[in-house]
Amino acid sequence: MTPTVQIEGSVGRVILSGQFDFSAHREFRQVCESIIANADIKEVLVDFQNVNYLDSSALGMLLLLKEKIAAASKTLALVNCRDTVKQVLEIACFGKIFTIR
Amino acid sequence: MKILVVDDTEAILLLISRFVEALGHQALIARNGQEAINVWRQEQPDLVLMDVMMPVMSGPEASVQIKAEAGATWVPIVFVTGVGEENALADAIERGADDYINKPVNFRVLEAKLKAFGRTLDLNRKVREQSQTLADYYERAEEEKRVVRHLMDQMVNSERLADPQFDYWLSPAESLSGDLIAAARTPGQALHILLADGIGHGLTAALNVLPLTQPFYSMTEKGYSITDILFEMNAKIRQVLPIGRFVCVSLISIDEVGGTVEIWNAGMPPIQILDQQRQVVRVCSSSNLPLGIVPSHSLDLVPERIYYKQPGYIVAYSDGLVEARNAGKAEFGLPTLLDSLSQSDDRQMLARVQAEFLQFLDGEQHHDDVSLVVARFGMDVQAAKTELEVQAVEARFDEISADFNLLAECSWRYSLILSAQELRYVNTIPFMMSFVKEIKSLAHVQSDVFLILTELFVNALDHGLLLLDSAIKTQPDGMEEYLAQRAERLANLQEGRIEIDLMGLKYKDAEVLKIRVKDSGEGFDWSNAFQTPVSHTSHPSTAFGRGISLVRALSLKVQFNGLGNEVEVYYLPAPSPKH
Repeated sequence: MTPTVQIEGSVGRVILSGQFDFSAHREFRQVCESIIANADIKEVLVDFQNVNYLDSSALGMLLLLKEKIAAASKTLALVNCRDTVKQVLEIACFGKIFTIR
Repeated sequence: MKILVVDDTEAILLLISRFVEALGHQALIARNGQEAINVWRQEQPDLVLMDVMMPVMSGPEASVQIKAEAGATWVPIVFVTGVGEENALADAIERGADDYINKPVNFRVLEAKLKAFGRTLDLNRKVREQSQTLADYYERAEEEKRVVRHLMDQMVNSERLADPQFDYWLSPAESLSGDLIAAARTPGQALHILLADGIGHGLTAALNVLPLTQPFYSMTEKGYSITDILFEMNAKIRQVLPIGRFVCVSLISIDEVGGTVEIWNAGMPPIQILDQQRQVVRVCSSSNLPLGIVPSHSLDLVPERIYYKQPGYIVAYSDGLVEARNAGKAEFGLPTLLDSLSQSDDRQMLARVQAEFLQFLDGEQHHDDVSLVVARFGMDVQAAKTELEVQAVEARFDEISADFNLLAECSWRYSLILSAQELRYVNTIPFMMSFVKEIKSLAHVQSDVFLILTELFVNALDHGLLLLDSAIKTQPDGMEEYLAQRAERLANLQEGRIEIDLMGLKYKDAEVLKIRVKDSGEGFDWSNAFQTPVSHTSHPSTAFGRGISLVRALSLKVQFNGLGNEVEVYYLPAPSPKH
């Protein structure tokens, strides 16, 4: 999977697709770093619209992202979480520490 | 480059070697094939410029020999050929030579060829270095895995997993498992089962779950509750793992004496509670963040509590089991798991699931670690009780008559006084158990001592100081109500104290343990509660009665003093097993 980025004003949207697991590690990190470095972006949305599977290492990547985004004083939300993605996030109770829309 | 020039014609030899030197290379010379081999052996040149026809040994013959000796190292051999040597040349190239250049030598072409070989040699060297590094890495990784596997085997303590109360199955996706199953019993014989799943699988996942074992075993042994153990495990994980790493955990406690099951689930698939017919009666879903993400004090560590009246099963598993896919991309799934459990009989539940899982995969590998625990509850409780009562009936009557009050001499003594303020937060019994563990004559009967201490302490605190009414417990949902009241009153406790003394008394050849617990409360009418002899308390109607009869069953003598706010218990440890 190759994450793509859409920037609208101060909102940066990271659109993921397919399987979000350890194989996506490098691309995901690169995309996130570029978004964090962009001073114009205040809110980061991770879009799961096209993701059909999410594993525990993906959850780890999200935790890392959350940490970095907080350090850069931006906000983060996980959006368009459906089916399997929603289920995995629910089991891990990530709703307690992430904004999920 | 270091270049070996081979030619039997002195003039050509000189000409080529000078030219090579002029290009900035180092030139070595040989006058026939045999000499070429000798020089090659000594100097290991990077490249050879070789004449074809030479006395003693021809160029092609020498080149075959050099190529053979060089093995995996690539030594380019370029033939310098005269007219009419085409056949020998073709033959030589077939047998491993790399290129040729015609005589008379065009130096512009030779220079270009040397440059080209220089580039290829660099590339070749890089590839070889990388593959060497790769091989080193591989070896090191294998060695590391071996060490971690050993470490895990040691830390997981498979001996304690051989407990008749539960069966387990763990099938790693790689040589190392990122799923962890551990089990241990508290001094009060409650069974604690830990099922954990680290991120991913293999080495890193295995390393993630390892820090859990130490707090799990040591705190269970001292009788800490699973809430306390989870608090420590989370702190440990946060301390040792980097951000982004976490561990999904379910921790289960089965207390057959109290008839309770406690379950705490963080990030693991829903734990299924089955009845005796193996039908699902309750599901304990994850309601917590996995361990290692937020500080312990912001976690809700209170487990789901089940007070069971009927026997049943607890089924816990990792996502690797239900999410495993076969060649047709179908998922094994929870329904299949539950179905195969319901169709098997008691002792074969695990074997049946394993068989169905293998059949489902049909030779495919599963890609995540698979683990499954099936624990029983409520089945051994009758046996446990009967055993306890038989022991009680066989109590040592001769010794009961002995007047322990005369035994004023004690060989050791441990006293503890806690006031309301400490009682609010000190976890008294586990704390005292770490002392009991150190006393040689008690080490093997920790479990009895733990039970007696717990009962006496709980009586003193709950009834003496907190004035809780045991009758609440008998109502429906009474236990929850009782615990809620207890927590509230304890938090607001302003006055009162509890004294606990442990003494080792010499009696004949044995050491008798005297336990004295006194609270500052008003006491109770003990003569009334205490009239019935031990053998008639085998069906206590209240939990309170069960507590006292348990202590009486275990000890030589139980004696209430004064108002009933002070109790003395004498306990004779069974002889320690001979080694």
